[in-house]
Amino acid sequence: MSAEHNDRIDELLARGARDYNQPGSVPRDEMWARIEASRRARSGQTTKPVRTGRVARPLWIWSGVGIAAALILSVGIGIGRRVERATPGGPLPVAANTGRATPKTDLAVADEAERSAAAGTSRDSIIGKLREETKGTDRRAHELASRQLSPSLEQSAEPNLAYRLVVLQHLAGSEAMITAFRTAARRGDVDVQLASWARELLSTTRMLEASAATQDPTMKRLLEDLDLVIAQIVQYATHGTNNSEELDLIEQSITSRGVITKLRGTVSARTSAAGT
Amino acid sequence: MTEAENAQPNPRYESQPHPRLLERKLVARCLEGDALAERALYDAHVERVYRLMYRMAGDGDLAADFTQETFIRAFERLEQFRGDSSLATWLHTIAVSVALNGMRKVKRTQGRTEMIDDMTSLAAETYRFTGDLKARLHAAIDALSDKLRPVFVMHDVEGYTHEEIAGSLGIPVGTSKARLFDARAKLRVALAAFAGDHIA
Repeated sequence: MSAEHNDRIDELLARGARDYNQPGSVPRDEMWARIEASRRARSGQTTKPVRTGRVARPLWIWSGVGIAAALILSVGIGIGRRVERATPGGPLPVAANTGRATPKTDLAVADEAERSAAAGTSRDSIIGKLREETKGTDRRAHELASRQLSPSLEQSAEPNLAYRLVVLQHLAGSEAMITAFRTAARRGDVDVQLASWARELLSTTRMLEASAATQDPTMKRLLEDLDLVIAQIVQYATHGTNNSEELDLIEQSITSRGVITKLRGTVSARTSAAGT
Repeated sequence: MTEAENAQPNPRYESQPHPRLLERKLVARCLEGDALAERALYDAHVERVYRLMYRMAGDGDLAADFTQETFIRAFERLEQFRGDSSLATWLHTIAVSVALNGMRKVKRTQGRTEMIDDMTSLAAETYRFTGDLKARLHAAIDALSDKLRPVFVMHDVEGYTHEEIAGSLGIPVGTSKARLFDARAKLRVALAAFAGDHIA
């Protein structure tokens, strides 16, 4: 191959190489939001507080929070459905745990026992996993609430970002526990595990209520309602009497105060406000 | 200029601290958990990293995945950054490693190797310097080995210096030059047979 020939080939190479895999515009904010979400997921922590004096937070922070909150929301709502699916025959009316009058064949009874045993294992493992998930949030909430707020954060128009994220996680976890409780109570099998889970969430709810960082009056009211409902659940679950009147009172508290609707609405609204 | 004037510090240099010093300060702030500093670090380097990832991957989604993974790893390992090289070089070391491993995972390299084999059998045909020839060239670049392709892409496509390439890939500058020479030679051979008409 002559030198001239090589030069021409090199020229072709140079011209053609410039177009090789030509990149388009850089999706900066989308990638950053995913980086933030992924780092939070890997570390199991929320975004560290910004230490500069700047109050207004840039869009990318809200995008990250939005993604995290959306995940939490979907987990919180999905949790109840998972628990319900793990229960054969789906949710039963409250009166169903008072006993069934219809006689069954031996085969039908054996089938049901087998399904119940399988479902029991599944339900226990799901509740166990969920409890572990909310424990992480509880620990983080206690850390944040017990920490003395820095003057810059106290004066800030924006509440502590990490704190807000933990509150959202707590609300989603509480919604999951209440849904799991309702399903279990209808079947008459509220157990120790659920009672412990409710106690842990009650402790976190009260701690959040007392925290100086909770300044939003709507949030304060929601936490008060949650406090009442979870306290009733703790009492019911601890006594283990399966008293249908007590259960009716809990149901009444949940529905009259619109606790589930408020929980879902708050998480959803704050996710939207975060810019997703 | 008098001796006294000479003794005055040059304000131009005073107001512009050395980039490495700024880099160290930025890294220190990131390590303290300053989210704004993290974003600043990202903003300063994301464009160049993404461009390289796109050139390596040839796909927007993969490029975004590789870029994200690069920065996630960088933030995880930021404590290990000693400042011996520039932050950009350090980031590119991670980026190239992520891209090469990622590309192996999606088995694109294997698919492209098959393309270069097909191309050799078509070498007797003649092509104009149109999309055909360009496509052949791009396929030939795709088919370069994992050692040659990053050097060629970084140098001839993205315009990195041999020093930057050597730092990013952890190889001597001479090796970077030798690899570029090899890459060009392979591409010349791949192009020569069917670029005849254009050259003539």
